[in-house]
Amino acid sequence: MNVDGAKILVLGLGNDILTDDAIGILVAREVRRRVAHLSDVDVRETMEMGLALLDFIVGYETLILVDAIQTGHAAPGHIHEITQQQLKSLPDRTPLGLAMPSRLKILAVEVADPFTFGTQMTAALQQALPIAVEKIVAEVNLA
Amino acid sequence: MKRPDMEQVVKDKFNQGSTRANTAYQMGRRRFTIDPITRLEGHGKIDIYLDEKGDVERAYLQVPELRGFEVFSLGRPAEDMPQITSRICGVCPTAHHMASTKCLDDLYQVEPTSPGRKIRELVYNTFMLEDHALHVFVLGGPDFIVGPEAPAAERNIIGVIGKVGLDAGKKVIATRKRLRELIAYFGGKVVHPVLGLPGGVSKPLKPEDLPEFKQLAKDGVEFAEWTLAVIKQIVLGNSNYVNMITSDAYTHKTCYMGMVDEDNKVNFYDGKLRVVDCTGKEIYKFAPQQYRDFVAEHVEPWSYMKFTYLKPRGWNGFTEGPDTSIYSVAPLARLNAADGMATPKAQAAYEEFYKTLGGKPVHHTLANHWARVIEMIQAAETMEKLLNDPEITSPEVRRIPTTVPREGVGVVEAPRGTLFHHYRTDERGCITMANMIVATANNAARIAMSVERAAKGLIKAGNVTEGLLNKVEMAFRAYDPCLGCATHSLPGHMPLLVKIYDRNRQLVQELRQD
Repeated sequence: MNVDGAKILVLGLGNDILTDDAIGILVAREVRRRVAHLSDVDVRETMEMGLALLDFIVGYETLILVDAIQTGHAAPGHIHEITQQQLKSLPDRTPLGLAMPSRLKILAVEVADPFTFGTQMTAALQQALPIAVEKIVAEVNLA
Repeated sequence: MKRPDMEQVVKDKFNQGSTRANTAYQMGRRRFTIDPITRLEGHGKIDIYLDEKGDVERAYLQVPELRGFEVFSLGRPAEDMPQITSRICGVCPTAHHMASTKCLDDLYQVEPTSPGRKIRELVYNTFMLEDHALHVFVLGGPDFIVGPEAPAAERNIIGVIGKVGLDAGKKVIATRKRLRELIAYFGGKVVHPVLGLPGGVSKPLKPEDLPEFKQLAKDGVEFAEWTLAVIKQIVLGNSNYVNMITSDAYTHKTCYMGMVDEDNKVNFYDGKLRVVDCTGKEIYKFAPQQYRDFVAEHVEPWSYMKFTYLKPRGWNGFTEGPDTSIYSVAPLARLNAADGMATPKAQAAYEEFYKTLGGKPVHHTLANHWARVIEMIQAAETMEKLLNDPEITSPEVRRIPTTVPREGVGVVEAPRGTLFHHYRTDERGCITMANMIVATANNAARIAMSVERAAKGLIKAGNVTEGLLNKVEMAFRAYDPCLGCATHSLPGHMPLLVKIYDRNRQLVQELRQD
């Protein structure tokens, strides 16, 4: 929850012991290091999903999500960038009168193996990691 | 002792797996596929095989499973397991954490102190209440509260709020948050709890914090009772729903397993496992350590899922009735396997449940939704009882283990059903064997039967009835299955891919829901 006046949240999703599913978490950790000097940016990481994410998101103006995805239509390591305009199925963004972010960006990294226990990502994902970090740092600077 | 060479163990496991797969393929008795597209896309996959008349012969559900847990665990210190296993999945971390902690008690032969045990039970019941509420209102509830025939776009939490009202929606969100704060008070992060230690817990409850939690428990009981009223009014007040719950399409006469206390009442945290047959008669009752004498795993050539069954009865196929060896777990099974609830308000709701649905046992899968709400009441009442116990603020929350570890089994009732953890270690306490049977595996055989039943009802003479996907999805969503592949989907729907094959095993139709 935003308690320190920060306006931007970078939220990394995934599981750091399921091989490539760690990508969102690892990107968030690196972004945290890179934006440490910016007081209006919070960086969080979580393995939770669904409604539990609400507790993280409420109170921020901008939300940048990074997660793993499997569309099967792109090579592992490809970074899908999704803006709020593309999320047609999103219901009213302010249900229940909660202060939801007005600006949303999702980075979803195509993964090869999110089903095997392990703490080392596949090669393509290791290569995608710094690229995703740069994209988010740029996005933070734009916001 | 030398730590096993992880690299070599991984290679060996992989080779064993591919040899098995190749053998099954070459035998060619049946179509055997692990569809790479399906696994890539993270869809649940259903294969439907038609006979010469175009009716359904068999239907199979396949979902991706997590791999390599045992290999990952080998050589690690046993006391890391409650943290590691709670990271397995973001849906039920507290259940894995607690099963693993209890496994460590058994491994180190140490009983938790009485206050330590009570704090564990407090946290666990809080988790059950929160997780069940999530399912009722967010995951499964939309089918019922909004309605199975409502357009897909409305069958989500927003649709639920539209039906129960904005204030009620706020109540759901706020209560859930407070319950999660209680879990975080003891365990730090909800997802990586650091609560359980062999012999107790890491943190006592400070007396000055007690009033706030007492208020939360009181509100929790009210919240659970209000949820029951909502379900009764919206769902049971509608005869179409009641007819659907009790229809043959969603009914299976199997055995049921659940954990019970000394009085055979439902217990989520500890007790013996009791199994009743399809007439409701007790057939087995055993301590968690004996699970391997009662539970075995069956493998089918068409699936990489394992189907658990009652070992003393042997594998009798996907059958129902008096001789079936298939059992199910989760809320309905727990109620069926017990003689009643452990708390008074939940007991009253339990009696009404069986009276309304025609006596014990109830075989209607969709009744799981109602049973879940009755369990919410017991969880909240148990929280209240524990917080009114003077021992709950005692600082004596841990007993230090002194024995050399060898082998342990820990079992809890996860929201989705019985969860087994079983470890063996060397004398230093490093893992040499780790096995888990998760709730969804215990339900796998019955879920497969439900999917097949739904498909049989909706495909006749090669014609596929409209709404097949939603009806099939409802058939397994009632079990609240925890599926690795559902992790990254947008909420409200499980991505599904249905492939229909004719009698010559040629693909004739493909349906998908993204």
